[in-house]
Amino acid sequence: MDYPLIVDLFFVLLSVLAVVSGWRVFCTDSMVRASFFLLVSFIAVGLIMILLAAQYLGVAMFFMMAVEMMVMALFMVMFMMNPAGLNPMMMVHQHRFAIVAGAVSFVVLAAVALLAEFPDSPLPADLDPVTSLGNELLGDSMLIFESAGIVLLTTMIGVVVLSSHRGRFGAAEEGSMPPGLAPGGEPAGMPKESDEGGGHHHHHCH
Amino acid sequence: MAVSRLSRLAARARVPVFPALGMHGEPALHRLALTAGIELVDSPRHASLLLVAGGVPPDRHAALRRVHDQLPAPFATLWYRSEPLIELAGATRVDELDALPEALTTLHRELMQGQRGSSPRLLPDEPPNPWEGLGDDGHGGEGMMGGVPYGRPMVMNMTDDLRDGLTLDSLTVTLGPFLPMLPPGLSAEVTLQGDLVYAWTTQDAPYPTALGSVFFRALQEPVPIAELERARARHHLKRLHVALRLAGLERLALQALRLAFEPRVEQERVTKLRRRLGRSGFFRLTTTGQGRLEQGQARRVGGVAARAAGLEEDLRGRDAAYRRLGFTPILQDGGDTGARWRQTLAEIDQSLQLAHQAEREGAHTEVIGSVETPCGPWGEHRSEDASRLLDELLPGLEWDEALSTLASLDLAAVSEWPQETLQGSTEASGNGAESCEERRA
Amino acid sequence: MIVNELILPVILVTVVLVVGAYLVAVIDEAIAGALGLPRAANAWMAPLARGAWLLTQQANATEAPDWRAWRLAPALYLALAAIGLAVVPFSPTLIPTDLVTGVVLWGSIEALATVVIFLHGWSANTLLSLIGAYRYVALGLSYILISMFVLIGVALPAESLQFSQVVASQAELWNVIRQPLGLPLFLIVGLGVTFWGPLNLADSRDLAGGTASAISGPPRLVWNLARSAMLVAFSGAAASAFLGGWLGPWLPGPVWMLLKMLAVLAVLLLIGRLVPRVQPERCVTLMWVVLLPLSFVDLIWAGVEALW
Repeated sequence: MDYPLIVDLFFVLLSVLAVVSGWRVFCTDSMVRASFFLLVSFIAVGLIMILLAAQYLGVAMFFMMAVEMMVMALFMVMFMMNPAGLNPMMMVHQHRFAIVAGAVSFVVLAAVALLAEFPDSPLPADLDPVTSLGNELLGDSMLIFESAGIVLLTTMIGVVVLSSHRGRFGAAEEGSMPPGLAPGGEPAGMPKESDEGGGHHHHHCH
Repeated sequence: MAVSRLSRLAARARVPVFPALGMHGEPALHRLALTAGIELVDSPRHASLLLVAGGVPPDRHAALRRVHDQLPAPFATLWYRSEPLIELAGATRVDELDALPEALTTLHRELMQGQRGSSPRLLPDEPPNPWEGLGDDGHGGEGMMGGVPYGRPMVMNMTDDLRDGLTLDSLTVTLGPFLPMLPPGLSAEVTLQGDLVYAWTTQDAPYPTALGSVFFRALQEPVPIAELERARARHHLKRLHVALRLAGLERLALQALRLAFEPRVEQERVTKLRRRLGRSGFFRLTTTGQGRLEQGQARRVGGVAARAAGLEEDLRGRDAAYRRLGFTPILQDGGDTGARWRQTLAEIDQSLQLAHQAEREGAHTEVIGSVETPCGPWGEHRSEDASRLLDELLPGLEWDEALSTLASLDLAAVSEWPQETLQGSTEASGNGAESCEERRA
Repeated sequence: MIVNELILPVILVTVVLVVGAYLVAVIDEAIAGALGLPRAANAWMAPLARGAWLLTQQANATEAPDWRAWRLAPALYLALAAIGLAVVPFSPTLIPTDLVTGVVLWGSIEALATVVIFLHGWSANTLLSLIGAYRYVALGLSYILISMFVLIGVALPAESLQFSQVVASQAELWNVIRQPLGLPLFLIVGLGVTFWGPLNLADSRDLAGGTASAISGPPRLVWNLARSAMLVAFSGAAASAFLGGWLGPWLPGPVWMLLKMLAVLAVLLLIGRLVPRVQPERCVTLMWVVLLPLSFVDLIWAGVEALW
């Protein structure tokens, strides 16, 4: 294969970027920064994929990972008790286990890279990778991909439907009891005293 | 050379002014909004000039110093009918409304061309809360937690979320009294989850509103209904300006303000404004059934808010002169932000119609001792401050909804001095402001 | 080779972005004047004077911001605009980068813009900019899907994800007529990606400027420039995807392309001046309940039309 030297140069630079930003994920003291360092790492990998002529997969990697990391960062902020993720916090824990697991997986992957025999079958020069990927995805394997896709989509929609009740204050009063504003208080967002309200105790002031 | 060319060019930019409103500083704001070449900005970081309009009570001086120090250098201050802070004794002071735009433009030009130094910083440049994190970077120690880095504790959200259980961490901040989106003078401690207002505690009430002198005269003697009603329409148009500007409808906001300053507003132009407002989607996109007042709350606020909630409360109905003009109170039943604006627009229209009719017939008010002001009924007492209401009304609203609700409510007390007195002499402005403050405290 | 593949495209993209961003300011000023807002003394000078003013101003600090992210975010947003414009063809031969996956790249730019704008608001460590950042994520996640379906719609008749092929496929009939729902939906996406006018939820007045509320001086200049540049890049994408790009009689291709971009810009800026800011919750509801189904309809329409 002959390709310009600049491709090699970019490959090296992008690999360094991917590794360094991946390493920074574990050094930073913020959930948001960690997520976006990971995103930078993925973008570098996506660019390497474009260099490897996997154009569609490389570009798709950008938007998949951008949305994914954005959502991940927000959910971490929501579930951690750190206001908006603005306070510094320790991002690594279980040090010993993490080090051992990291070392083992590095050795395994490095062994695969060094010991595996990669096939040496040059692709035809006029191959259009996007078209062939499209044919692969939507040709013989279409049934598998489509059914997996639809199952995933219905699962996601189902989860959203089950876990939310129209908006944040929306129609929750119909059939469900939102939590009280104060501990043990009146349910929030419930109609105060509806005249036909079933099962309510009515207080009449005279 | 190049630098001087840059600053000459910079001097030709629109003059970016951050207004910090004191008591009765609104006239300055209105004048500047109508002046080409001056831009009123919402954040002190976006300004070169700090305009302090109206007397600032001493208990708000600390906040004013903080706002002052947030302007990026080079910047200057201008004091309109206001005593400069002690440290800034040499700052420019202007008392004439007509001289204000020119003074600001000159100040900006001098500042940009380096003929005038930047205003000095008043506070030390250090965090208001000391670093109290654990370890060098603030982490380590208690699990994954890290102390109270800059006065912001790790939250323990043990209470459930107000809405759907997706709890964002709460942040508690103090807003006001110079935040331009809030009524002037209002400050509050607000706890937010994301953009959801979780708790709102009003700390300082907004400054009292100054009404036109015609409302004061109406308490003592019969006044021409035409004059009274025009003043009412003007007051509402100015409020509409604030709300429309907040909603991003710059153009219609200016139209409303221009109408408010016309000596004789024509009814067709108000009708046109109403139609344009409806077409722009203001009622469908920005005011959407939020900020609903219960009957009791609506009664406390009074005026437009009460009538928008369906309460037939209007002192004008008791006046035979008004009845002869065919006056019946307009009512809405929603009681929410949208209903309040529909009500306001309808009342502006009604006021102009009454004014037109009263002028032809030379009608005067007949009831003395009470008057329906634009802020609510004034019988035995002036309308009082109702900003505590926000503590119950705003929690549960998103930031945008909370602010549009705030803009639609006229919560401030009515000042005991009429507008004309306050603007007539500077003495009255400074002293009046302070005594109002004391009286309420 | 390096001249043709690297230097020329970079110059082309830079010139179009800078001149375009300047024109955005001028057109917006002209529209404001025509609508009766106070006019600047000279609409052509006003943007330059404003830029000079921002350059003379100090870049301020907040309490403990994330400096790197805060200063990088405006530059990254500008870079995204440049990348977006780089895949837009100006004529069959004058294409900065004729990427075979140009349409997908636009999807990625919208997704990455969400990240960059969030970071801009978050890293300032102040409340109002943080709210702006949160709001933009809600908006961004809503419009990305709409954008994707609409863009797949234009890729269908072209049988390609390449912008030059998309333009070529409109030789007989422009997509704006062939897929009538596409352009209106895509314009809404454009207002979203630049958070302009009615969809300015991130830098709005009720947040005192939102994610930009705490910046001043040169960073603010870059941020404003980047927003205008993104609007220009978007108008390029919209003109190629729906208005037939360089296609047109009499005039040379690039001129047609620039005229169409200006038309898209003018429409967007006019909407920005006439429509109020949409309430965030209402906006998200509209996006998911009305516009997303409409984008499905658009896609089905495009598919049926392509099979016909």
